[in-house]
Amino acid sequence: MANKTLLVAQREYLENVRTKTFWLGIFIVPVLLAGVVGVSVLLEKLKEVQRYSVVDLGGGDLLARAEREFRSADAKAMWRLAAKMQDDPQMQDLRDKAGPTTAGEPSADQLKAVLDWVGRQDAKDLARLGELGASRRYEYVSTQQLGIAATDPQEVQRELGQRVHKGELFAYFVLGADPANTVDDFRYVSNNFTDVGLRTSYESALTRVVQKDRIKAADIAPKVAAHIQEQVVCKPLQADSKGGTADVKKENVVDQWAPVGFVYFLWMAILGVASMLLTNTVEEKSNRIIEVLLSSVSPTQLMQGKIWGIAATGMTMVLVWVVFALAAGWTVPTLLGVSGGSAIMAVFMTLQNGGYLLSFAFYFLSGYLLYAAVLVAIGAACNTLKEAQNLTQPVMMALMIPLLSMVFIGQEPNGTVAKILSWIPFFTPFTMMNRAGGPPATWEYIGTSVLLLATIWLTMRAAGKVFRVGVLMTGNPPKLREILSWLRQS
Amino acid sequence: MEHALTLHGVTKRFGSFTAVSDLTLEVPKGCIYGFLGQNGAGKTTTIRMVMSIFRPDAGTISVLGQPDAAAIKDRLGYLPEEKGLYKKMKTAEIVAYFGKLKGMDRSTANQRARELLTRYGLGEWLDKRCEAMSKGMGQKVQVLGTIIHEPDLVILDEPFSGLDPVNRDVMRDLILDMKRQGRTVIFSTHGMEHAEQLCDYVMMIHKSRLQFAGTLAEVKRGRDRGIQLDYDGDGAALQQLPGLARLNDHGKSAEIYLAPGRDPQQALRWLLDHVTVRRFDYREASLHEIFVRTVDDANRKLAAAGKEG
Repeated sequence: MANKTLLVAQREYLENVRTKTFWLGIFIVPVLLAGVVGVSVLLEKLKEVQRYSVVDLGGGDLLARAEREFRSADAKAMWRLAAKMQDDPQMQDLRDKAGPTTAGEPSADQLKAVLDWVGRQDAKDLARLGELGASRRYEYVSTQQLGIAATDPQEVQRELGQRVHKGELFAYFVLGADPANTVDDFRYVSNNFTDVGLRTSYESALTRVVQKDRIKAADIAPKVAAHIQEQVVCKPLQADSKGGTADVKKENVVDQWAPVGFVYFLWMAILGVASMLLTNTVEEKSNRIIEVLLSSVSPTQLMQGKIWGIAATGMTMVLVWVVFALAAGWTVPTLLGVSGGSAIMAVFMTLQNGGYLLSFAFYFLSGYLLYAAVLVAIGAACNTLKEAQNLTQPVMMALMIPLLSMVFIGQEPNGTVAKILSWIPFFTPFTMMNRAGGPPATWEYIGTSVLLLATIWLTMRAAGKVFRVGVLMTGNPPKLREILSWLRQS
Repeated sequence: MEHALTLHGVTKRFGSFTAVSDLTLEVPKGCIYGFLGQNGAGKTTTIRMVMSIFRPDAGTISVLGQPDAAAIKDRLGYLPEEKGLYKKMKTAEIVAYFGKLKGMDRSTANQRARELLTRYGLGEWLDKRCEAMSKGMGQKVQVLGTIIHEPDLVILDEPFSGLDPVNRDVMRDLILDMKRQGRTVIFSTHGMEHAEQLCDYVMMIHKSRLQFAGTLAEVKRGRDRGIQLDYDGDGAALQQLPGLARLNDHGKSAEIYLAPGRDPQQALRWLLDHVTVRRFDYREASLHEIFVRTVDDANRKLAAAGKEG
């Protein structure tokens, strides 16, 4: 008997897997994702270089020092650089000077080390670094380079102002005459006030330089100054059952975006595969092939066969995606030079954690089975896809809830909302996946899973009854009340 | 005599509607049995109950000596009225698939599917997709899918509908082949000529109730004999025939039934005077006539019962 279910499932699987559209659909998702990531990185790279100039009213070395500080303070760029250096044989000597670095988001300590190191480099090495990969978003142009002959600061500013107005310059800074005492006469002149990157970065570079000068002027020992300026960092520790603490293990730290990314994947996969089942059932019904099949297999066998056949199809799809994602997790960050930040990247990274994959597989399968049972029953009761769409509307509406709450639950994985949603079986797969960063207590995992599996079993039984009656019905689509009355039959 | 199928007091209701009412029937082994009746009379419901797709509300059904048809599904072949194929599957694949669903092993099913398709003239289509075929070819593929596992009892619901004359002959030969191989064939049809040509037994069901059942000879026994007339001329004149009881005028041919006691010889003489007679046959009533008259009688009885009630 089970043999026939298998035959149906096998046919279903082969029919889907043999079509070009199936593979096209599979490949288009990673391609689209890669496209989204790639395009955003590309756009970032394509951003026009913002040219700026500086007028120094003080006439000292403030300009040169600020520029040097500004360059070296482009922390992220420096970090990328340091990461890149690891793979560039030509940078062997620089690498040896910098010490070990890793890819990914730098820790505060690492950043500081790199910055210190950059600060110690001579001009030639800095130039090499700049060429290799430092951010080239902001480009300093001196007044001489701009061909401004005037020396009077007012005159220079007027000329610079015209160039800003014409768009030749993005902005120019005016450095105050007496930064040791006042910074009131510092200026930023531009016509673009939405992109504040240049201004804020340059301001903080100036601040550091001015601070350094003032510390020196006040005759404070650099050691003391550093001591005063030290930033407070709270060391993250994990509480254990005995009330003690332990170092946070790396695998326990999950980027807050990773579960969100997973939920989104899960949602797409479940919805995609379950709708495939719905379409397939309605088509088969309107094809009139159902009755031929029913002379050989029981309605339950047919339904189970379809559900499992499509499940296998979906698993194939998800598996291909996972392979893609794993491959991308290894290669994309280095290829594109991006480090973390986006949810997709976080998912790629976290995918290398086996527990996630396992729970993804479990929640995909259980979520699919639950929604498959509902949709296959609806499909069996309808004659056209249009009718089916009307009946599936409540299901689709319910499915919006995990999608809408996904960011919120990601941030508050053990909040009341998250806990309540976990116990509603139709949301359990998404919510529990969503809460992985928490993570929920073991008893919650077990409890919700038992409830989920029990619901799947009940829903399957109910679906079987609706399927049995509905699959041979033609004519008007049944009302919800009629479908419920079928449940009471036999 | 052993029976391929026995129904006893079978009733099936859908809500307040009774589709089959107290049906008792025996189908002997190895015969061709015709199920007659109007659309919606209850033929398909009866067949679906035999195939254990529906469960009867009352009564018992025994198929091939088994009370539970589900247990011997693999020995039955069924072609429903609404016929469909998987459009994307290749013909040989789908026929083999039906065989495998009936418990045949993979290689036997594949081999036999190709054999059958080739034998019935679809050799060129083995590896083509079903969607490319004409309706007639598709129907042939479906029938082959129905019989690939060499079933003992084959049930065909409206096998002739939608077929051109050539394919009808193919279907007829298929049915006769099956009988020759000792299988029992039940088919439902609206085409009385097919029933008359092929069937050993016929039954008729009208508005859920059995009207008659038996061999063709038994069904015709005791019915009025009638005149089968081929003619040229004005058919309206036939209405004037003295002693006329009923007339089925087809324009070029007609069936004429005379009132009791009338002499067909006199009718012939009258006809010769009024139309050009090409053929004159005085013989037992056709199945068509029996069908139409049964429907009339049953409706009259129901109307009368309705008035009394």
